[in-house]
Amino acid sequence: MTVTAPSPGPSAAPAITPTLRAQVRRRRAWIVIAVVLVLGALVLLVVQGGMRAPGPALGADNPAPAGSKALVEVLRAQGVTVTEAATIDEALAGARAGSTVFLFDELGILGEERLDELSAAADRLVIAQPGFAALERLAPGVRLAGLASGPIDDVACDLRPARRADALSDGQRLLTVDDAAAASGWTGCFRDGDLGYALVSGPGASGGEVALVAATTAFTNEHVDEAGNAALALGLLGASDELVWYLPSPTDADEAAAPTIADLTPGWVTPVMVLAIAVAIVAGVWRGRRFGPLVVEQLPVQVPAGETSEGRARLYARSAARTHALDQLRIGAIERIAALLRLPRPAEVATVAEAAASATGRDAASVARLLLSDSPAHDREFVDLAADLDALEQDVRRSIRPDPDDPTRPTGRRP
Amino acid sequence: MAVTGRFVLLVALGVIPVVAAGISGADAAWLALVGWLALAVGAGALDLSLAASPRRVALTRELPDRVRLGETVTAELSVQNLGQRMLRAVVRDGWEPSAGVAGPNRTPLRIPPGERRRTTLRLTPWRRGDRRTDQVTIRAAGPLGLWARQATLAAPGRLRVLPPFHSRAHLPSRLTRLREIDGRTPLLIRGQGTEFDSIREYVRGDDVRSIDWRATARHADPEVPGSMKLMVRTWRPERDRRIVIVADTSRTAAARIADEPRLDTAWEAALLLAALASHAGDRVDFLAWDRRLRGRVHGASGAELLARMVDTMADVDAELIEADWTAVPGQVRRVTSRHALVVLLTAADSPGSARGLLSVLPQLTARHTVIVASVADPALVAASRARGSLDEAYAAAAAERALLDGERVAAAIRRLGAITVTAPPHELPPALADRYLDLKASGRL
Repeated sequence: MTVTAPSPGPSAAPAITPTLRAQVRRRRAWIVIAVVLVLGALVLLVVQGGMRAPGPALGADNPAPAGSKALVEVLRAQGVTVTEAATIDEALAGARAGSTVFLFDELGILGEERLDELSAAADRLVIAQPGFAALERLAPGVRLAGLASGPIDDVACDLRPARRADALSDGQRLLTVDDAAAASGWTGCFRDGDLGYALVSGPGASGGEVALVAATTAFTNEHVDEAGNAALALGLLGASDELVWYLPSPTDADEAAAPTIADLTPGWVTPVMVLAIAVAIVAGVWRGRRFGPLVVEQLPVQVPAGETSEGRARLYARSAARTHALDQLRIGAIERIAALLRLPRPAEVATVAEAAASATGRDAASVARLLLSDSPAHDREFVDLAADLDALEQDVRRSIRPDPDDPTRPTGRRP
Repeated sequence: MAVTGRFVLLVALGVIPVVAAGISGADAAWLALVGWLALAVGAGALDLSLAASPRRVALTRELPDRVRLGETVTAELSVQNLGQRMLRAVVRDGWEPSAGVAGPNRTPLRIPPGERRRTTLRLTPWRRGDRRTDQVTIRAAGPLGLWARQATLAAPGRLRVLPPFHSRAHLPSRLTRLREIDGRTPLLIRGQGTEFDSIREYVRGDDVRSIDWRATARHADPEVPGSMKLMVRTWRPERDRRIVIVADTSRTAAARIADEPRLDTAWEAALLLAALASHAGDRVDFLAWDRRLRGRVHGASGAELLARMVDTMADVDAELIEADWTAVPGQVRRVTSRHALVVLLTAADSPGSARGLLSVLPQLTARHTVIVASVADPALVAASRARGSLDEAYAAAAAERALLDGERVAAAIRRLGAITVTAPPHELPPALADRYLDLKASGRL
């Protein structure tokens, strides 16, 4: 910015807001710390992300904890040819060639027809974590039964891979086999008490063999080495020389099946949502930017005047000081009645009571009791006595100065 | 830096290109989004770089010096653009909230280089004392009005808000009474505060003791030869009496009774009394005191007296400290060594808090006529009447106790020779003025 020589005239008002440079200088330490933190976080992200990209669950070449590269590599080392299939056509081709087919349909993409085709084509079909639809189609009578209670070591069947595995690690899911399914050849292995089985095997649609493993635990890199997981997985998948490792992709969905939300939304929806977030942030900055510093107001101290009186009332109430409280009311009433009746100033209470009784026409003894000796035994009586005192005072006042609007007033003199 | 609503709108308008591009595919939509955001930020940055500096600005204020509480004034602020660019600014003047700025306090201005514009704010202060502003904040937008530079500049200003003096409504009637006293001759009661006025003929009803026999001897009755006219002396209230008003600004003055702090009631009462007494020709001095002298008006008279009193009162607020009454006689002595009417505006409502006052009253009453004026709480009287429920009955007992305490203190004050004036907040100023007129009429000043 150009700065002209100061001409004689008004000078710029001194600024309270520090300049940007001054602000940066003052907060240099914090800025450096923030930059270091952000850079560190970025570096960490890059390094971590490079090391373990999440990858697909049970991916054949996925080395992440949820992947299955370990199992596939061992199978290959054992001489099994593992073919990865991403489409139903590849899987069917492999199945027709006599391969064992491993199916993990995480999203439930495969429709009924595709499942039928696959089970008809495959001699051996191993399904990890079968969904509800797949069970209904391939193994009616076998149902999902939730999580296992812990590691399972009750093999409970004659299936060879199961016998070899002998036990499964924690983290299994369970399936139940009802009587109809059992009658049609479905048997369960690895029983978890009465809850169900971790593995169910039975006949496929065209006489093939179908093994349903309720959980993915036995196949993942993370857990494959635990208990008999590896033995079960290798036994199930290594039964033949060829293995098709089939993880269905979205294109395998049935044409007839309803399209997903992602298919229905046009491409611009997500960018517009991002734009809306950006607008919200900018609007927040627009409304949130303060127009100069807050102005401090020095307020004078002010105390509600009734506080001492209220506090005292609460003290009376808390200690149930009925007699004491009533005495205060009596003293006030006696003073006012004495003043109303023009009695000489330190007046005896008895004199005041007599005068009040004669002025109001009440019974002298009861007025004296009210003003002097009645002692409230409980709260109700205290309230009544307090009200009586007030009524007496009003009566005395009325007897001295009859209310001009009172119709019951005896009409004597008229102006 | 600040962004404007226009920038928000610009960003929001990005929905059009994003949707238009999205028809052909998601990738194009993302590209359009990034492109639009970059465009908007770029336009904003460009705008910011072209904005005039809000720091190269000269500010001058034009403010009235004083205003009575409840009245409205205009505060003017001239903004001169010392920079080379057009200043498109929004200006906020940093007045305290109690200065009562009307409207949103955001003044848009367009000031070409070297020129000057004036902003006007209407202020209706709602609190007594000095209302201040320390700063002016200027937000200077660029030519596109997207981004703006903001700076806060020092520009101190002060507006003194004087006590409202509502009780001046009572002044005309009291002045009428004052004139009646002046004209009522001869006074039936003569005392220290009366002075000889004139001699005139006796009329029926005059006090026979005021017959001046020597004057009667000199005045022969022309109508009845050989007889005399009875002549009487007349008296009038003495002028140039001294009145010292001592207002207590300690913690008891902070109490709020019937929505008015005791101190404000004291100011009203002091102002009415001062106005009345200065009309009556008496000399009024004013002291505001707690443990130190908070304000003092000495030796002023007439219109100047009231002006100086409200100016002194304006900035005095009650403080949460105990009043030091022992120094009050000394303060009064410094004002006058003659007999004076000393008016103590304080709270005489409980024996505990009035002990200090009671201990020094004899010193004051020995020399002066003393009035102790205090505010009575109408809420206490109302509470002592309500006895419907248990809580109300206890509250009535406590209120009765408080009233009796006040009575006791008042009785003690009267026993020490002082006069008490106790009234609810709005009735205290006229009650005090009436008591002053009574004293004046009876010549006890």
